[in-house]
Amino acid sequence: MSDLQTRRDLFSTVARGTVLAVLAGGAGFLVKKANGQVVWQVDASRCINSRLGEVGVAACNLCTTECVVALSAVRAVNEYSRCGRCNICPAYFNITSAVNELGQPSEKLCPRDAIRRRPIGKVDPEDPANNFYEYVIDEEKCDGCGKCVMQCKEPLGLGSITLRVRYDKCVNCNRCSISTACPQKALMQLPVHQATQPAEVQRPG
Amino acid sequence: MSWVAKTGSALARLALLVLALGGAWSVHAQAVPYQRPVETAPQQDTIGGGYRTPAVQHPLPRDYWLQVVDVVALGAAMGVSIWLVLKRRSRTWLVALAIASLAYFGFYREGCICPIGSLQNVVVAIADPRYSIPIVVTATFVLPLAVALFFGRAFCGGVCALGAIQELVVLRPIQVPRRLDRALGLLKYAYLGLAILLAIRPALAREFLICRFDPFVGFFRRTGSPHMLLIGGAFLVAGMFVGRPYCRYLCPYGGLLAWCARLARRGVTITPDRELDCGLCAGACPYGAIEKMRAVGRNCLYCARCYSACPRDGELAHAKAGLVQVRGAGPQ
Amino acid sequence: MQYRHVQVIDGKGALHGIAVDRHGAIYAAGETEIKVFDAAGRLERRWPASRPAWSVTVAGDGTVYVGEVGQIEIFDAAGKLLNTWRDDKLLRRVTAIGFSRDSVLAGDSADRAIRRFDRGGKFLNNIGKDNPLGGLLIPNGVVDFGVDAEGTVFVANPGKHRVERYAPDGRLLGHIGRFDGNDPAGFTGCCNPTNVAIGDAIYTAEKAGPRAKLYDFSGKLLAVIATDLFDPNCKNMSIAVDGRGRVYVVDTVKLGIFVFERVSA
Repeated sequence: MSDLQTRRDLFSTVARGTVLAVLAGGAGFLVKKANGQVVWQVDASRCINSRLGEVGVAACNLCTTECVVALSAVRAVNEYSRCGRCNICPAYFNITSAVNELGQPSEKLCPRDAIRRRPIGKVDPEDPANNFYEYVIDEEKCDGCGKCVMQCKEPLGLGSITLRVRYDKCVNCNRCSISTACPQKALMQLPVHQATQPAEVQRPG
Repeated sequence: MSWVAKTGSALARLALLVLALGGAWSVHAQAVPYQRPVETAPQQDTIGGGYRTPAVQHPLPRDYWLQVVDVVALGAAMGVSIWLVLKRRSRTWLVALAIASLAYFGFYREGCICPIGSLQNVVVAIADPRYSIPIVVTATFVLPLAVALFFGRAFCGGVCALGAIQELVVLRPIQVPRRLDRALGLLKYAYLGLAILLAIRPALAREFLICRFDPFVGFFRRTGSPHMLLIGGAFLVAGMFVGRPYCRYLCPYGGLLAWCARLARRGVTITPDRELDCGLCAGACPYGAIEKMRAVGRNCLYCARCYSACPRDGELAHAKAGLVQVRGAGPQ
Repeated sequence: MQYRHVQVIDGKGALHGIAVDRHGAIYAAGETEIKVFDAAGRLERRWPASRPAWSVTVAGDGTVYVGEVGQIEIFDAAGKLLNTWRDDKLLRRVTAIGFSRDSVLAGDSADRAIRRFDRGGKFLNNIGKDNPLGGLLIPNGVVDFGVDAEGTVFVANPGKHRVERYAPDGRLLGHIGRFDGNDPAGFTGCCNPTNVAIGDAIYTAEKAGPRAKLYDFSGKLLAVIATDLFDPNCKNMSIAVDGRGRVYVVDTVKLGIFVFERVSA
C-alpha cells in the first residue's frame, strides 16, 4: 500500500470517528430533551362548530376535507355524562324537517347516519316523549363533518358533542394539514395525556 | 328648595333620562355573558332503570413498543441489505428485501415515520428548545447515517420505501451524462437547505417541506390530493427510464448519506482486474456509481446490479487470497 | 293579536327570574341581590340576598319571595328580611315560586319537581314527581311554572315540549303543546318551552330561536310576541305578565328586560 493510501485511510478513519462522535453527541443531546409524544387535538373553545356565541352559522367541515387520511381522523365524540338524553335531539334529528305521526321530525341530521338512538332507563310504555334516550356516534361511519356538533352546541343543545382527533386513525403528521387550513386556528399540539381529556368549551363573559 | 338644589335636581333628572335612553343602547355593547352554568345533564341515578353512563373512549396513539419495533426493523433491514449485497451479492434477494420493505415501511406504516422526514424533526429539536422529539425519531434519523459511515448507503438499497418503489420500476435506465448528473445532484443539497430553513421557523410558521412534497406518500396511504398523486406517478414513469430520480437528485437525506458514505471503509467495491475490465458492471449500474471502473461510494444505492452483471462474480465473491479490496480512485 | 315592543329596561347586572307586582313594578333576581324597577324602567331600589338568587315572586300582600340555592328568603317590599325557609334537600335550586290558593309552590330544578308548602313553610307534597322518570324533563337547569286564578299549576316541561297542568295536590290534569320545528304553534329544538307565565293566557318563552308566544287555555296559539329582538344565544328567559296585559321577557345575553304591549285583540 502506498503512502498516499495509508494517509487517506487515516484521514477517513479520523473523519469517520468525528462524524460518529457528532452523531452520537447529537443523539444524546436530543434524547436528553426527549419528552414523550405530542399529538394534534381540536380546541373546542376555538372550533367554530363548538365555540359558544356562533349561532346561525353553517357547520364547518374542513376537518373532513383536509385530513390526509382517507376517512378523516377527526370524529364527533359525545361526552355521555354531559348529554341531555333528550327525546328530540337536534343533533340526531333534523329539527327543521316535517313532523311525522309519532311527533318526531321525520329526517335525521347525520348525512352518514352515524348516530344511534335508543331509549334508556325506566321506559314509559305509554308516552315515548316521557323517556331518556342515549345517543351513540358510530366512529366507523362518522367523518367529522361537524353538523351534529353545531346543532348540539348551546343554546340549542347542551354542547356534549365536540370534534376530537382519534389517535387510532391519526397518523400524527409533523404539520397537520387541518391545522394549516383551519381559519380559527383550532388545531394544536398537546401531550397525549392532555389531548385525551374531555373537551372543554370556554364560557365567555 | 334653594335654586341650587332645584337646578341640581333638574339636572339629575335630565341625566337620569339620558342614562335611561342611553341605557337601552348600552346593553347592546356589553360582553356576551352566558347563563350561570349548572350541571344539568341527567346522571345515571336520575335516569334509573339500572342504566350506566358509558365511558367515552379515548384511543391512544400507536403503542410505544411498536414504535421501537419499527426502529429495530429498520436496523435489521439495513443489516440484511448489507449482508445480501456485500456477502451474498444477490440481486434477487435484494429485490425481495425491497418488496418486503415497501410492504412494511411503505404500505403498512404508510411511509411515516421515515428517516428522510425525521431530519426535519431533528433540525427543529435543535433549533427550538421547547420542541420535544421522541427517542424513536432520533434513532430513525441516526441509524442509517451511522450505518452509512461504515458500509455506505445500505439504507437506500432495499430498505427505504421511497427508494424501493422507484427501484422496482426501473425498466430501461439511461446513463445520465456525468456533468448533468453532478449538476442535478446539487439540487438535493438545495432542497436540504430549504427544508432546514423552513423547519427552523417559529412554531406556527414552521413548514415541513419534505413531508408535504413527498411524491410517494399518496400511494402508501392509498389517498391523496390529485396533484401530488400525479407528481408521484410522473416520478414513477420517469423512474422507468432514469434510475431513481428522487433518490439521486432530490432526496435531502440522501445528501447526508452521500457525505457519510464517502467516509465508509466497506461498501460496494469493484475489484480492479488487469485481465478483464469488461465494463459490464458500469453498463449495468443505473445510478452512475461506477466511474473509471471503480465504485463511487457516495452514489452507490446498493442495488447489486453490478454484481449480477459481472461474469467473474462467482469467482470473485468467494475467493479469499489475492483479492485486493480498494476503494474507488475517482474524485471523492 | 299583535304586540308592540315598548322598551328595554337595562337590568343593571345579572338577571335571572323576574316578577311583576300589582302596581307594575318589576322585581328582578340579580346575581346575589334583588332589584326593583318602577313601571317606567328606572331602578328604584336593590337589596342583597344571602345566597345566589334564581327567582323572585311577589305575593298579594306585597311580600317578596326569593328562590335561592338551598333556601327561600322572604322580604317585605322595602327589602327587610322577614323569614328564611332553609331546606337543603327540598330547595336545592329554587328557580320559580308561585302561590296556589293558600300554599306556596317552589320549583326545585335540581330535583326536577315543584314543592308545595303551606304559608308557614311546612312541606305538603310534590308536583311533577309522580311519573316513570321521577320528575320533569329539565335539561336546562330551570323549572318554571305559573298559577292561574283557580290555583291550577301550569308547568313548563321542556323535554316533552309541553306545558302541563297539575292540580295543587300533584295530579296531572292535562297538557298543551307539541314539538314542531317549522310550525310556530309548536315548540322547537330539543327542550322548549323553558319558561311560562300565566295571566289571561299562557305565555311561553323559548330558546334557540328565542321567542315569546301566547296560547289560550285550550292550547291554540294566539300570537308570537317577538322573535328577532332577542339575542340568539339566550337561554332560560324568564317571562312575566302584569294585569294590564304587558309582557316582560328577560334577554339573558343583553341583560335587559324587554317590555311588550298588546296593541290589538
